[in-house]
Amino acid sequence: MQQYLLESLYELQSHLSHSRQFYQVVDNDGDPHWQQIELDKVEQEGFQPLTHKMPQSSAKGFFFAEQEPLYVFDGQFFRETLPKPDPFVLFGVLSCDLMAIHYQDIFFEQDPYYQARRQQGLLVGIDCVQPCKEGFCYLVNAGPGVRDETADLILHPLTDGRWLLVAITALGKESIHGLTLTPASAHEISLRWDNLSHCEQQFEDHSYISEGINKLNADLIPPSFWQQVGVQCLGCSGCTTLCPTCSCYGTHSQPIGASESKAIQNNKAGQDNQASQHVRFWDSCLYEGFQREASFHNPAEQAGERVKRFWYHKFSDDFLPEFGRYGCVGCGRCERACPGVIGVHSIMRRIVDDA
Amino acid sequence: MHNLTPSAVQLVDFYDDGEHTRHFHFRLLEEPEITTHEHHAKWRHTQTGQFFMLSVPTFGEAPFSFTEVPDENGYFRALIRRMGAVTSELFELEAGQILGARGPFGAGWPMDEIANKRILAIGGGCGLAPLVSVVNQLIEHQNYTQLSLIYGARSRQTQMLNPERERWQHIIPVYNTIEEGGVNGGDNEYMGTPSDILPTVLDSFGELPEIVLLAGPEAMMYSLAEYLVAYGISDHTIYLSIERRMHCAVGTCGHCYILFICPLNGGCIAQ
Repeated sequence: MQQYLLESLYELQSHLSHSRQFYQVVDNDGDPHWQQIELDKVEQEGFQPLTHKMPQSSAKGFFFAEQEPLYVFDGQFFRETLPKPDPFVLFGVLSCDLMAIHYQDIFFEQDPYYQARRQQGLLVGIDCVQPCKEGFCYLVNAGPGVRDETADLILHPLTDGRWLLVAITALGKESIHGLTLTPASAHEISLRWDNLSHCEQQFEDHSYISEGINKLNADLIPPSFWQQVGVQCLGCSGCTTLCPTCSCYGTHSQPIGASESKAIQNNKAGQDNQASQHVRFWDSCLYEGFQREASFHNPAEQAGERVKRFWYHKFSDDFLPEFGRYGCVGCGRCERACPGVIGVHSIMRRIVDDA
Repeated sequence: MHNLTPSAVQLVDFYDDGEHTRHFHFRLLEEPEITTHEHHAKWRHTQTGQFFMLSVPTFGEAPFSFTEVPDENGYFRALIRRMGAVTSELFELEAGQILGARGPFGAGWPMDEIANKRILAIGGGCGLAPLVSVVNQLIEHQNYTQLSLIYGARSRQTQMLNPERERWQHIIPVYNTIEEGGVNGGDNEYMGTPSDILPTVLDSFGELPEIVLLAGPEAMMYSLAEYLVAYGISDHTIYLSIERRMHCAVGTCGHCYILFICPLNGGCIAQ
């Protein structure tokens, strides 16, 4: 691990943006979101300030695409359509979102589409030094400091616009090669831990979440509880769309337009079969029809069953052996998104009080 | 890495069997170099009880059991009921049509564990399809000490695999149950469901079955399994062929989850 002191972020941002497509969270009018930063604009306007504000959508979509073709059928054969992205950098990923990427790295370890994107991505994390409103990352081992196993580079804000830069992986060290960097002092390094420790102490009391997790794993929640809260699930997919670890997907096939079809068929004259593509897209286990079969048999017909499964997927001990952690990274997006008021804080309070 | 791209197959021929149900015969096609997925050599290692994803271009994919696993020339069969969008289109196709297939998937029946045991197989409706290859294999190799089959269907019109069952009943006891219409007077047809005939069949075993294979609607399988466990049969010797809606067949899409675990992680055959 190598640690450096940066007087500003500009040189690092500029350096990385010359070798990779550069993405950063920008905060326009209170709407923080990931955005590609074009080099020509940077030369005129510089980089926008790095923000700790949580983007509404996590970085999930950079690797697990919201919609993508899996293969095309050219009328005779099927051809895999693996993405071939240019190298890119996500600059300033929050610790919770990095842990979610780490979680999905495990889940999608054998998925060639995910891995094709993932292997092109450089992850630059940013430590949080203030709790965010709905966040409880400290409780689920996802923050507020970036965990070493989740990032290539880590940034920690010091005073006076200075930053501590921690190079973790070989890719991270290679990415800053060529920059003139000043090694950080022991004092600056220790400041990081002091700041993170202080930040952890500033979080509100979330003991009801721990209590709720324990109750859930002790199988102390009656089916009637899930039926009651299930009524409040509108099946809108807000939680599953915004959850950085949710990974359910569906697929469908569709015909390809005439011009595209001609290119795909590659001069296969006389081929009668219509060219088509098979697409996958983010799905939601909370949709009523998610598991419904062609016969209309539905293993999860009741909303309460689907809500129960969702929360067990986030907090069941059953997932610890495979992932070494819970499926929730404590970002709190579900609480903000859920119109039925059964996001993580609400459901955990209900579990503790009513179940 | 998971392979989510089908191999090209040709629909060789088909014939009807029961209500809205048809046997389809497919042949794996040679692949040109432009495709990235593995060639069909892997198909030759298909285990009894595994399944494949059939791709009907522009209509989608759906999982089906092999009734005959791929042979050395890439020919295989499946028994498919017309039910949703994919199968409805499949039933409109003529022989010669190019389709896609991915697989083989799932764990397959535990043939080593089954061998030379007292075996009871129970299939309901389309659930007989995944049992065809295991029953055929057991009969062909004569490696069982006792083997009985119960097959439940709603009515005579919905019964399937009539030639196979007629052939089997000359060799092993086959108990056919139907819920609607009258029985035909044959000595192996009974009114009711597999649950109704089960006590009689268990009595016929003398000693309890050492292996039970279940395939069919989940509610039927769970009900039978509960009865069998209460009867004294170890739950470790009861195997269920779980068939669920799925989009990936590799354990990542989430659609086939049972409780919170994808059964594909342990195979489609569950104890």
